[in-house]
Amino acid sequence: MAVPLLSVENLRLRYRTRQGPVEAVAGVDFEIRHKEALVILGESGCGKSSLAKALMRTLPRNAEPATGRVLLEGEDIMALDEERFRREVRWLRISLVMQASMNALNPVVRVGEQVAEPLRVLRGWSRERARQRAAEVFDLVGVSTDFLTRYPFELSGGMRQRVVLAMALITDPQLVILDEPTSALDVLTQASIMNVLKRIKREQGTSFILITHDVATSSELADRVALMYAGQIVESSSAAEFFREPAHPYAQMLMDSVPRLHQETRPTHIPGQPPSLLEPPSGCRFADRCPSRFNLCDRDPGAFRKGDRRRVRCWLHAGGSQLS
Amino acid sequence: MTTATEGTRAQGLRRDVRRLGLFTAKRLLALFLTILVGVYLTILIANMGGRVDDLRMVQIQGEVSEMVRGDPAFQDMPSEERNALVQRQVDLEVERLRLDQPFIVRSFDYLHRAMLLDLGRAEQMHSDSGSRDVYDIIVERLPATLLLFGTANFLVFFFSVYIALSLSRRYGSMLDRSVIALAPSSAAPAWFYGIFLILLFAFVLPVLPSGGMVQAPPPENPLHYALDVLRHMLLPVLAMFLSQIFISIYSWRTFFLIHSSEDYVEMARAKGLPDNLIERRYILRPTLSPIITSFLLMLIGLWSGAIILEQVFNWPGLGTLLFQAIGHRDTPVIIGSVVIFAYLLAITVFLLDILYAVLDPRIRIGGD
Repeated sequence: MAVPLLSVENLRLRYRTRQGPVEAVAGVDFEIRHKEALVILGESGCGKSSLAKALMRTLPRNAEPATGRVLLEGEDIMALDEERFRREVRWLRISLVMQASMNALNPVVRVGEQVAEPLRVLRGWSRERARQRAAEVFDLVGVSTDFLTRYPFELSGGMRQRVVLAMALITDPQLVILDEPTSALDVLTQASIMNVLKRIKREQGTSFILITHDVATSSELADRVALMYAGQIVESSSAAEFFREPAHPYAQMLMDSVPRLHQETRPTHIPGQPPSLLEPPSGCRFADRCPSRFNLCDRDPGAFRKGDRRRVRCWLHAGGSQLS
Repeated sequence: MTTATEGTRAQGLRRDVRRLGLFTAKRLLALFLTILVGVYLTILIANMGGRVDDLRMVQIQGEVSEMVRGDPAFQDMPSEERNALVQRQVDLEVERLRLDQPFIVRSFDYLHRAMLLDLGRAEQMHSDSGSRDVYDIIVERLPATLLLFGTANFLVFFFSVYIALSLSRRYGSMLDRSVIALAPSSAAPAWFYGIFLILLFAFVLPVLPSGGMVQAPPPENPLHYALDVLRHMLLPVLAMFLSQIFISIYSWRTFFLIHSSEDYVEMARAKGLPDNLIERRYILRPTLSPIITSFLLMLIGLWSGAIILEQVFNWPGLGTLLFQAIGHRDTPVIIGSVVIFAYLLAITVFLLDILYAVLDPRIRIGGD
């Protein structure tokens, strides 16, 4: 089997708070192959943005350094020191489209310059060469090259989002992490951005990690789905399997809550609240809200293998071989 | 492709320059009108809307009749003739001062002269070179004040911004916390520190002069003169520095902490830009307008505190001048320095307007 593009093993991230440490990412494993799009689904506060931050090492001040292994084409990038990580990995191999990308542009620098900046700084390209490449990615994401000399406040929200996307693509990275890229946009703009992403994936062969809470939008791009709950990945499987027959009870209930066209029954909701990450339950973290709870659920289920690349963190699927 | 991007770039530049020109012209006009209105109001208020003229009439009457009566040449003149003489003299004086014209007409004449910085003559004071022109008196003192306060402000400003920027990166560290703990030291004004510094370095340990700007007699050699001025500046600058630096660092540090958690700063970090570039282009550059504003306003604001500090250090600046003018009740000097101060403020505001437009495209381009 070929080496996966990115493989994450037992990634953990803790924040220091006044009430005590909060483990926002509690031992996450997943892998992405080349040209694959992984959707990380989860509700607010489940740790999905923290996961992105841990991968990019853009942690806020109150975070402890992340632990675990992150292998990029077999090389452990967590072991790199800060300076080497900045010079060799950031933006050249992994780039990020931030959650609040409406404000991700410097208000006093022309967008063309900002987009070209990584090439100028990290690759040392000349101004002219970087500008030409910026014009190329502007074409790619569907923004007129006239806007290269504009300032961010002269652009609409959708256009700014495209510019941020162009910035993430300019170095032709192997992996682009998109952290809720469309959450601040209207539905039409969302759809057109998702179309741009699909086209880029088809034409450029870029791999994506798309972090979102929006099941409907995510299904358009996803090859694989990882579902997060309270800091853990509770199910990871191919998109087809996940959307057709989800395995984890949380996944099943989540899918039942999504409204669809041509549906007779009303969408349901999941009762209860996610557990506090200050004192997470020692057993299965979903147990309190789970309709199929039984006595084994007081112990922490590992991720059970189900099929070739499918993992489910639930005792109901303990028939498969256990990994961890 | 190349020519196309070159074209859009040149176009963008032309657009910016045109807008900048338009913006400058508009601001200049607005500011001119502001000064005009401000100075005119000052004239109206200082003359109590023309009522000062009545007082002046009485004063002229009194002075003239006093003079005529006191002159032995007119001693044996018949009283009607003498009264007629007094009346003629009064009329002459009234005509000379143009008090026969309505106040409103003359007020525009005053305005005209004030706008041209024709500040009139002092009643009692004179400049060191002997001139009685208010303008000369003030301009003579201006360099001393600018030298002292300019130096102190530049030092405080650059030190505090630089230190604050590095502290904002070491948020919560020991150094950070100790600087914060020292911030209340700025509760005492500069002259307070000045008194202690004089005591310490001029009397207990007599190494520096206790006041003045240059020793008497002043050194002939320009280099020695400069060095001597520098020696005299040391204590007042140190006093201002001590009283300003910690609170200044504290407020800039908080400012930078807020602005370094902007989304675009985090984005720049994720983009793999080195720290110094992030500081320069993503923290300092977008916040340059407030930084420069507070710098220039601080420069002006400190002048009001100059009166006491200059007294303490016996510094021959505007503060000392104003103090003396108030003591002598020399109204033209007081009003003259107010007008000059207003001009300096207006120039500063204009400078700020231009700088804003240069620094911030949001202001420049939103200008039409």
